[in-house]
Amino acid sequence: MTEESPKIGQSALKVMRSPRSVDIEITSRCNLRCRYCYYYDNPAVDYNDLSTAEWLHFFDELGKCAVMDVTLQGGEPFIRKDLPQLIEGIVRNRMRFAILSNGTLIDDTIAAFLADTDRCNSVQVSVDGSGPKTHDACRGEGSFTAAIQGIHTLQRHNIPVAVRVTIHRHNVHDLEAIAHLLLEDLDLAGFSTNAASYFGSCRLNADEVILTTQDRQEAMETLLRLSEQYDGRIDAQAGPLAEGQMWSQMEEARMKDAPPFPNGGYLTGCGCHNSKINVRADGVITPCSMLPHMELGRINLDSLIKVWKNHPDLDRLRRRHTIPLADFEFCHGCPYIPYCTGNCPGLAYTMLGQVDHPSPDACLRRYLAEGGRLPIEAQPEDLKRKYSEGL
Amino acid sequence: MADEKKKKTVKGNNDRPMANPTVVLREEFDDWAILFNPDTADAVGTNPVGVAVWKLMDGKRSLEEIIGEIKDQFADVPDAATKDMTAFIKDLAKRGFVGYELKG
Repeated sequence: MTEESPKIGQSALKVMRSPRSVDIEITSRCNLRCRYCYYYDNPAVDYNDLSTAEWLHFFDELGKCAVMDVTLQGGEPFIRKDLPQLIEGIVRNRMRFAILSNGTLIDDTIAAFLADTDRCNSVQVSVDGSGPKTHDACRGEGSFTAAIQGIHTLQRHNIPVAVRVTIHRHNVHDLEAIAHLLLEDLDLAGFSTNAASYFGSCRLNADEVILTTQDRQEAMETLLRLSEQYDGRIDAQAGPLAEGQMWSQMEEARMKDAPPFPNGGYLTGCGCHNSKINVRADGVITPCSMLPHMELGRINLDSLIKVWKNHPDLDRLRRRHTIPLADFEFCHGCPYIPYCTGNCPGLAYTMLGQVDHPSPDACLRRYLAEGGRLPIEAQPEDLKRKYSEGL
Repeated sequence: MADEKKKKTVKGNNDRPMANPTVVLREEFDDWAILFNPDTADAVGTNPVGVAVWKLMDGKRSLEEIIGEIKDQFADVPDAATKDMTAFIKDLAKRGFVGYELKG
């Protein structure tokens, strides 16, 4: 580690003394079995839960490490009867928390408890349809009604509600109605989107749920339009909206022969491992829930700080940004290299078995070669033709 | 509930600032740090002098004593630093990171 300012592609970033945030898969159990769940059906994961005492002991360690926030996820966190006790352990250790949920198990008692803590950043509920038909298609009968009831309950108790819409083949034509439901009928401040992608159960059901190129294009166009219509109240870190925004910028930069983007040209697509870490339901520490096979240690046996600062796999992930995209055969000849980040290492691993590789799913050149179009006025027919011929 | 928690921190000895025990001091790298109040989600970034000031705010030392100790700890502390440290502590107090005992 040096004293110089970090430069993309040249030196390692300085490592914080401890993670700021920790994602905690507080349970491996869930009352639903969604067809595109990223969590289930992963051979790398041991689907066992820890006891209350084991988690509370770990939360004491997080408090000593000055961790600021934890995100409870799963599985379905509200399935744990001891959730209040676990949250008391988080509060006692001077942390805030968020919960990722399917929303179906939230009642007034638990909502009142969450509100009383004054430490809840948000509860994120998954809503994938404007009604039962699209939502329940992949999540199961009755899940839409229960999720909406869950949102109403959270709102009654003034708990910040975040909603995540996962886009798939069954709801891609329902996006406008979903936005209306969430932003107008439920009056949410906003919502975020992603897409069903090649993790867990979704891999097994890929042909039924993962967007085709044409679906992806439609989702991209619709979401960009809705995002503008609703004044930025729809956002995304991944999926068609994020791709539509990023790929349009990349294409504009290419056409103008613009200088490289500050994070372009290297595997810079994920910086999570510089500020956060993940713990599986069985207590195994991993860099991220998208990289559950990378076992770094076990809570209450291994020191979190030592894992955080010294584990060679984390160090390798943190140096990923020094790997040039031009070194990959996959990227040879691509005009987007100066503007590309290689995207999610988890997706690269699940698709290719390599963490240190650009994600094929996030490749603009591949999308265009498969007949996809970008939702920008200057859509380059010549480019589409060029890559169709060249690939 | 947040207001009640803020009031709880307003304890100490009149002019002797006391760090809110709920606030987390996260020392990150190069001695820079974040003060994080989990009750309000408010956070303040601070330099090594601020960290040292924070650690001295125990409700027993007066503002003058804290500044005196900082001048002992750090070489070449300029006169303007007194004003900066006073403003820093006042800002922290305003944001509920620091309290003073209420008279009466």
